Amino acid sequence: MPGSVITVRRDQAETLLARIYLWEIVKGCVITARHFWRNLIGYMIGRRRTFVVNWPEEKVGYSPAFRGMPVLVQMENGAERCVACGLCEKACPTDCITIFPEEVGDGIQRRPKVFDIAIDRCMFCGLCEEACPEEAIVMSRRVEVASITKEGCLWHKEDLLTPASELPIRLGHIRNGYDRSPN
Amino acid sequence: MSGANFPQRRTDPVLPRLTERFGDAIVGTHSQHGDETAVVARDSLHDVMAFLRDDPDLSFDMPTDVTVVDHLPRTPRFEVAYHLTSTRDLRRIRVKVQLDASDARVASVKDLWPGMDWHEREAYDMYGVTFDGHGDLRRILLYPEFQGHPLRKDYPKTRRQPRLGIEDPG
Amino acid sequence: MAEPATAPALDFLEVELPEGFNDPIGEEFEIRPMVLPMGPSHPAMHGTVRIVLKLEGETVVDADVQVGYLHRGFEKECESGTWEQAIPYTDRLNYNSAIICNLGYCLAVEKLLGIEVPPRAQALRVLASELSRMGDHFTCVGAGGLELGAMSAFLYAVEAREMLWDLVEDLCGARVTNNYVRIGGLSQDLREGFADRLKTTFAKVDELYSDVDKLLTANRIFVDRLKNTGLLSKDRAIAWGQTGPVLRATGVPYDIRKAFPYSGYERYDFDVPVGSVGDNYDRFLIRMEELRQSIRIIEQVLKDLPGGPVNVDDPKVRWPAKTRVFTRMEELIDQFMLVTGGIRVPAGEGYVAVEGANGELGFYVVSDGSGHPVKMRCRSPSFANTSALREMIIGSMIADIIPTFDLLNMIGGECDR
Repeated sequence: MPGSVITVRRDQAETLLARIYLWEIVKGCVITARHFWRNLIGYMIGRRRTFVVNWPEEKVGYSPAFRGMPVLVQMENGAERCVACGLCEKACPTDCITIFPEEVGDGIQRRPKVFDIAIDRCMFCGLCEEACPEEAIVMSRRVEVASITKEGCLWHKEDLLTPASELPIRLGHIRNGYDRSPN
Repeated sequence: MSGANFPQRRTDPVLPRLTERFGDAIVGTHSQHGDETAVVARDSLHDVMAFLRDDPDLSFDMPTDVTVVDHLPRTPRFEVAYHLTSTRDLRRIRVKVQLDASDARVASVKDLWPGMDWHEREAYDMYGVTFDGHGDLRRILLYPEFQGHPLRKDYPKTRRQPRLGIEDPG
Repeated sequence: MAEPATAPALDFLEVELPEGFNDPIGEEFEIRPMVLPMGPSHPAMHGTVRIVLKLEGETVVDADVQVGYLHRGFEKECESGTWEQAIPYTDRLNYNSAIICNLGYCLAVEKLLGIEVPPRAQALRVLASELSRMGDHFTCVGAGGLELGAMSAFLYAVEAREMLWDLVEDLCGARVTNNYVRIGGLSQDLREGFADRLKTTFAKVDELYSDVDKLLTANRIFVDRLKNTGLLSKDRAIAWGQTGPVLRATGVPYDIRKAFPYSGYERYDFDVPVGSVGDNYDRFLIRMEELRQSIRIIEQVLKDLPGGPVNVDDPKVRWPAKTRVFTRMEELIDQFMLVTGGIRVPAGEGYVAVEGANGELGFYVVSDGSGHPVKMRCRSPSFANTSALREMIIGSMIADIIPTFDLLNMIGGECDR
């Protein structure tokens, strides 16, 4: 097995320069001043963004892999893609999904009559999306879900429905990046 | 910077030496998935643990973990599982003691390894197994007024405990 | 069952008030030793813990460390769900290095299942673990600087950590609650261009690392606070079950990645830093050195990253690939079976430890052959390390508690579970 045990050097602070400490003060000042000037000048000439994002006026850029709150995918004809099979309900570790199915169209098709997500319990783990066999529930890029009432934390089917055209990044990620390479 | 080497891992099994030394006190052994496990009679636990620590050939010097498994319908109900590690030989052993629900007590090994202190307190807190001779067996993760032992299988997950008010400190 | 005897360690809490206590400013006011509760929320401690101190002047005579403020019933919660459903909960153990917690749990279950993940998954697990470990060490040294008055070092360290977390987000979709490792594989493969993004980030992280290093490592004010505080001898550290930087600071080269290699760590060339004295300064230096070693490991992983799938080809363990679920009947049935019934793990028990950022993170799982764990135990390094805090601070000054507690890097979620 390569690699070895090395002993850390404790004498770094024992040198004369370090003991005098004046040099350390100068060094510290130079480092902090360098950060300051680089940020300031970079900001003024627009080359360097500040590290702080002024939320909510500015938004943070997320990676395409980002998981936000789960939403229901709406097809072009306005209906949900969900067939109320209940797998997401089963997979959810916190039991935050509630589904009551109903049958439509001569009893051939199923759809959720009720599809509620208690977003205050949801922990954005993405297991519902992984379990879904229909690409019907996906993790959107939406994270601002705070509410001041208990009722506001319960998202119903109408609130959750999102047209597929608004979810291109996530749907693309599920189909390409998220997809496990065929075994 | 020195180039000292790592200790070599010993691969010879521990269990034969233990059964040879203690005989009937070892109730059962197995090495499932490579984890050497000895089930020890309750009364000889402290002797076995002291032997594991002090024997120059074994020298299990590090207490890794203590926990309890609750096999509810089965008897004996509780199984206290100790994990020990030897930092010299890089070996592990699991020592288990089986306890009945009516008499869930076992000798404490805090005097052998001080590191067992909090683990035993946690096992008491979560399962109500008493460690005799521990001396400081308080609840550790839960508050003193908590009723029952939450990791027992007959403790419902959704049970709520009364909320305590803030006591008047004066 | 008999209740245990009352707590002798708390005896000193009942202080006998001397007669004539009415005038607290008067000369009669002499209560010795003084009892001072520190925490649970103290601005200079980065975990929720309460330390009841018994003081003689400013010297700590005795201490009672009380944890449990963040107890959320992790083990109970895991035992009530399926094996898969426990993975998101392991994220919540250590907020800094959630992937290491994911990995430890999944390795324990894989041990019971007797499966080994494909080489690409192993390499990616190592990569993700080391990214997490770097985030953890940056937080620890940065917060250590902050608590001892070095605000700039904290800002630079946290900036580096944020960049690393952005990489982790790119890897698995979330910065903190990663939920990345799965039983039998990974949730997703690398996205395209990850190596380039990692290279750009690492250039910045290197710069910030050297800034933190220059600001802290040889700084006398910082070093004098750390040297010879929180001392723990080699034998005592082992007997207390200390692991991670705390144990290695005493000179014991016990690193699970070397001692019990998992996930292919034996393939990578990295050194294990140890200390010689066992004080806080050694712990700090070890964390700084481990950051360098983590960078080394990550570079090696990316240099020869194996191809192939990231999941085991076993429909009884791993959920099938998404596109196949959409189009094929077999996989659809497998998906339904696995989600509703959970993985059937053969009866048995297993203990697996991984090297967490703070020490040995062990998972002991017991199965009875059903889809739910019978027992799911997390041996957390913070819990074991914090148990020795009492011994480390007895005899020292109050001010020494801060660096000692910081360099233990006690993470509340991991300690209290």
